[in-house]
Amino acid sequence: MPFKNIGGEKMQQIKKGWGRWVLIFLVLGYMGFLILAPITALVKGAFENGLMPVLRVITSPVFLQSLALSLKIAIIVVILQIFFGTSIAWVIVRQEFVGKPLLNGLIDIPFSISPVVVGYMLLMMFGRNGYLFPIMEKLGIKVAFAVPGMFLATLFVSLPFMIREMIPVIKNLDRKQEFAAQTLGASQWKVFWRVIFPQIKHGMIYGLTLTLARALGEFGAVLVIGGGVQGRTETTTLYIFRCLDERRYIEAYTASIFLGSFSVLIVFLADWFKRRQIRQHRNDNGFVG
Amino acid sequence: MKSFWKLTFLLTIIFSMAACSGGETSQTGDEIKLILGAYTTPREAYGEIIPLFQEYWHEKTGQQVVFEESYLGSGAQSRAVIDGFEADVVALSLEADVTRIQEAGLITHDWKASETGGIVTTSIVAFAVRSGNPENIQDWIDLTRSGVEILTPNPSTSGGAMWNVLGAYGAALRGQIDGVPADDPEAARTFLKQVLANVTVMDKAARDSILNFEKGIGDLAITYENEVLVGRQSGQDYELVIPSSTILIENPLAVVDASVDKHGTREVAEAFVEFLFTPQAQEVFSQHGLRVVNSDIAAATVDQYPIVEDLFTIENFGGWQSVMEDIFGESGVYTRAILEVQGGE
Repeated sequence: MPFKNIGGEKMQQIKKGWGRWVLIFLVLGYMGFLILAPITALVKGAFENGLMPVLRVITSPVFLQSLALSLKIAIIVVILQIFFGTSIAWVIVRQEFVGKPLLNGLIDIPFSISPVVVGYMLLMMFGRNGYLFPIMEKLGIKVAFAVPGMFLATLFVSLPFMIREMIPVIKNLDRKQEFAAQTLGASQWKVFWRVIFPQIKHGMIYGLTLTLARALGEFGAVLVIGGGVQGRTETTTLYIFRCLDERRYIEAYTASIFLGSFSVLIVFLADWFKRRQIRQHRNDNGFVG
Repeated sequence: MKSFWKLTFLLTIIFSMAACSGGETSQTGDEIKLILGAYTTPREAYGEIIPLFQEYWHEKTGQQVVFEESYLGSGAQSRAVIDGFEADVVALSLEADVTRIQEAGLITHDWKASETGGIVTTSIVAFAVRSGNPENIQDWIDLTRSGVEILTPNPSTSGGAMWNVLGAYGAALRGQIDGVPADDPEAARTFLKQVLANVTVMDKAARDSILNFEKGIGDLAITYENEVLVGRQSGQDYELVIPSSTILIENPLAVVDASVDKHGTREVAEAFVEFLFTPQAQEVFSQHGLRVVNSDIAAATVDQYPIVEDLFTIENFGGWQSVMEDIFGESGVYTRAILEVQGGE
């Protein structure tokens, strides 16, 4: 009876057996081929002519301008998503109202619409023949082929990340602590900062990371709504795209590595932060519980 | 808890730095902004011409011209301008794309009034073949040989791709292809279908197409002569083959009235357009693989840009308006041909 034994000797056997090595080898090979090989090719391409060309690229004004725009859009988008994403998740978990299933469904729309289409949808709103164009024109705000449109596009495509991350976190909140705090006379505000926030901040940081990476990497939507005007609406991804078109491969590869490492660094930072917090949490609670 | 605030603080600093550095350049008295919306092909040439114009304009008026450049596929650029991209000057691949902007009411002057009819550069439809021409491709007829893999961009996204289709179809119509009788639309259409049947990749733009060819895909790319010459200048080793009969590609240029009136840039925009016709600018175009409308320079570079045996133009098809309907319209020659080919006939 295999099921009886699996917990004991059998498990030991599996751990020692060669099958385990095959599995590990398979996983490493798969990941290596899928992730490491392309990155290696990219790095090799960038450093083809040594370090100097790479340094020239990352100090060139055009690249830095595009990076500043990418960061500006990504960071503002992240700040807005932290606030709205958490609020939306909160409303979905804690409130009951008529349109709730609809709201829940709407959240995933950005996952399923191609970013290029997002760009065109915004053009149909804010383009010269768009229905909001006359209002914006009167207000003197340029949206299409300008940075505000790129903000909107990036907000749209990165919307679900924070919300989907926060919903389970809020669901898992220990409500007893909230009730206890309220019973002890804490204000709503105080309950949030002292009781709720410490419990949800890991989720927030993780959601923030995903949102930031998505915002930095956006391409299609910002190309369509921004028009890729050099020095004005050109983000780093659009800069990379242009360099490839102009056969300036070292520029393209270098910028890709820079942008990629930036995102990876953020993910690592968030991960490190999360683990440190968990350790702290254990130390704090270790002798109490 | 503390480190969370540290992180927030750090992000705020980065954010404010990014926000500060992104300020737009203002239109002051000694600085003027000019927005150029162009198609992708001549960007290397504009990269050299713009500094020349800046210098010229600075000497003339003391003003510094700051350029904002955008390079998209010709059709996409044309639509972007209609949708609200306020380009002061548009340089596109074909007349129909400028006409569309005109029809949207954004170009109100007669942009074809100049001596050259608003055309600033020309080129021809030609082939890029592998180094040494291993498939021995000399003319259109070789494109129908079985097993020859062809790259050409997609006419539904790349305005310029239409030139390629017109080149093949036109050469056949004119009786320049062995076995295809002249002035026989049905025979010419059959020939076009044979060529299309050998097309393995249809990219969205002319530049994408030639870049994919550079990556080793296909035996030949139908493209513009200048794409091949620019590619060779950048170190690629493919070769140019000019068919005996081909179409003259004519690239128009126009000031967008709605934009220049809004920006107050008419004077500098018109000067820039004028500048592009000067021998100085035409010389640069010529160095970047484009044939030019300046006859002196064209005559001086005839070795580099050989005269085509049988060169025809869009006028042979009755102009762009009829081409858009008869060839690329819903029941046009090309539209039906590609449907039949893709339908596996």
